[in-house]
Amino acid sequence: MNRSFLAQNPSVLWFLVLLGLFTLVVTVLSEAFGVGFLSTSFVKTLGKTLCLCLIAIAMDVVWGYCGILSLGHFAFFGIGGYAIGMWLMYARTEGIVAESLSNQIIPPTSQELQDAIASQIFGVVGASEFPTLWTFAHSLPLQLLMILLVPGLLALVFGWLAFRSRVTGVYLSILTQAMTLALSLYLFQNDSGLRGNNGLSGLQNIPGAEGVPQSVISIWFLWGSALALGLGYVLFAWVVSGKMGSVIRAIRDDETRVRFLGYHVETYKLFVFTLTAVVAGIAGALYYPQAGIINPAEIAPIASIYLAVWVAIGGRGRLYGAVMGTVVVTLASSWFTGGGAPDVNLGVYTIQWTDWWLVLLGFSFVAVTLFFPQGLGGLVDKLKGAKA
Amino acid sequence: MSTLLEMSGVSVSFDGFKAINNLSFQIGEPELRAIIGPNGAGKTTFMDIITGKTKPDEGRISWGDKNISLLGMSESQIAREGIGRKFQKPTVFEAQTVRENLAMALKNPRGPFDVLLYKKTRQGAERIEAIAEQTGLADVLTRVAGELSHGQKQWLEIGMLLAQEPRLLLVDEPAAGMTPAEREKTTEMLVNAAKTRAVVVVEHDMEFIRRLKCRVTCLCEGSVLAEGSIDHVTSNPNVIDVYLGR
Repeated sequence: MNRSFLAQNPSVLWFLVLLGLFTLVVTVLSEAFGVGFLSTSFVKTLGKTLCLCLIAIAMDVVWGYCGILSLGHFAFFGIGGYAIGMWLMYARTEGIVAESLSNQIIPPTSQELQDAIASQIFGVVGASEFPTLWTFAHSLPLQLLMILLVPGLLALVFGWLAFRSRVTGVYLSILTQAMTLALSLYLFQNDSGLRGNNGLSGLQNIPGAEGVPQSVISIWFLWGSALALGLGYVLFAWVVSGKMGSVIRAIRDDETRVRFLGYHVETYKLFVFTLTAVVAGIAGALYYPQAGIINPAEIAPIASIYLAVWVAIGGRGRLYGAVMGTVVVTLASSWFTGGGAPDVNLGVYTIQWTDWWLVLLGFSFVAVTLFFPQGLGGLVDKLKGAKA
Repeated sequence: MSTLLEMSGVSVSFDGFKAINNLSFQIGEPELRAIIGPNGAGKTTFMDIITGKTKPDEGRISWGDKNISLLGMSESQIAREGIGRKFQKPTVFEAQTVRENLAMALKNPRGPFDVLLYKKTRQGAERIEAIAEQTGLADVLTRVAGELSHGQKQWLEIGMLLAQEPRLLLVDEPAAGMTPAEREKTTEMLVNAAKTRAVVVVEHDMEFIRRLKCRVTCLCEGSVLAEGSIDHVTSNPNVIDVYLGR
């Protein structure tokens, strides 16, 4: 990544400037560091949206640039969330348990402490021992490593098996969807070791920052998410520029031809699939502490389909398009489903947007696909073209 | 002229149909060779086998100075060994510029990390310009390949093959759909390319083949029916029977 890369891609600089400005404005308007115009929960919504933008640009690279329509990238997002959630829950419960046991005359042994934490966390699914999955939950650095390693390894193994057998197109999409569905169903079981359908909760409480109000923590996470999105954007813009980008787009358009040019197509796909899975994991790890809770429903196939819808509406093959699509659709979604949009009274029937929003979204998806395949990002290109 | 590629006793069948039947073939370096034959003679399958797209049921293919076997290698490995292929339908990457198309084909390390960290070099740029000059694409380097005419796309694909610097070039019906002027230019390109490497041209157009002034192999039902100069092959009664017609 050298200077000439940024000079050759002015859109990256523009994006970073806008992202910085956005973060600054939100900070100034927040309750914690500013005038208090934006509520803490809205700041969290914005922070979460930034995380969704991060996974959306990952999706754009794997689908829009490389042509792999993965309908399973939310699995990696969820794994990232679970990985950080395990530490958050463990460390916080440890603090609470240690405090309640400290009143006893005889100080608790470490075994007693462990058992108490375990029954606190797993009582809800009728267990009282730590599953093997939680071996590293006590250690923040190790769990942070898991955020990268688990999605990376899963993507590597899954991708290797799928790409090696030359599974492409719709079959690959179905396979990825099956992967996320299987993972979700597995996690729904109480003995999966991750609290079944209860999921992990209380993730908004950051151990070691008990005295810090949520309004401040929300801004910390906003900054963290903005930083991750900025870095992710630069990374992906770099990957899809230059010769690598050329080869990746060529694989999307005609992978057989790329093979006869001497490129080992499977390795390239695996590289893109794994890299984007790791970034999706990071996005998830930043998202769920802001959401406060993660459960297996989060990684149901529908989530990954939404992801594809954001990227399609935003315009495939443009990183800023993926960001635009995500921002517009998620904010519109929370406006419509949150009761922000007024109901439409047709006399015989009242359109309630909480029910009809999905229909509207479906129609917009169809309309964009049919009439504006360039998506929202295409509008930017048109403006650029009009100016030039 | 030393032998570059030797196929011996190669057979392949699809659902019981013998597409290639005990075929033996060899080509030296440098050499220009034309392959003719009726539809279904196995011309395209022959190329598929050499480039690794189709695995033969039996037979041997040895390649290069060390006589290594091409069987069991993947398409991309075979391409890296120095075998380039041009398809019947021009297949260039239409969404990318002519320069990007050529840059991708340039002979360079093909691993993902090599490509990711690839830096444009002056030699690379000069090589691209030289190839563009050779293939008559110098004025359209910055154009998107999808905007090129049919003939230009064919040349771009030939240019990409030259950029790969292959030792063996397999060309499937290069003259199809070309104007007479374009044909002439294509002939010249192929003859020039064959001065330093082996080139195999599959073509139906006898006039085009005559202009290549090279050895001709006639395939029929998956084996060699006749081989030799164009006059020798075209006067062979079997060839007249199955292919040229009376």
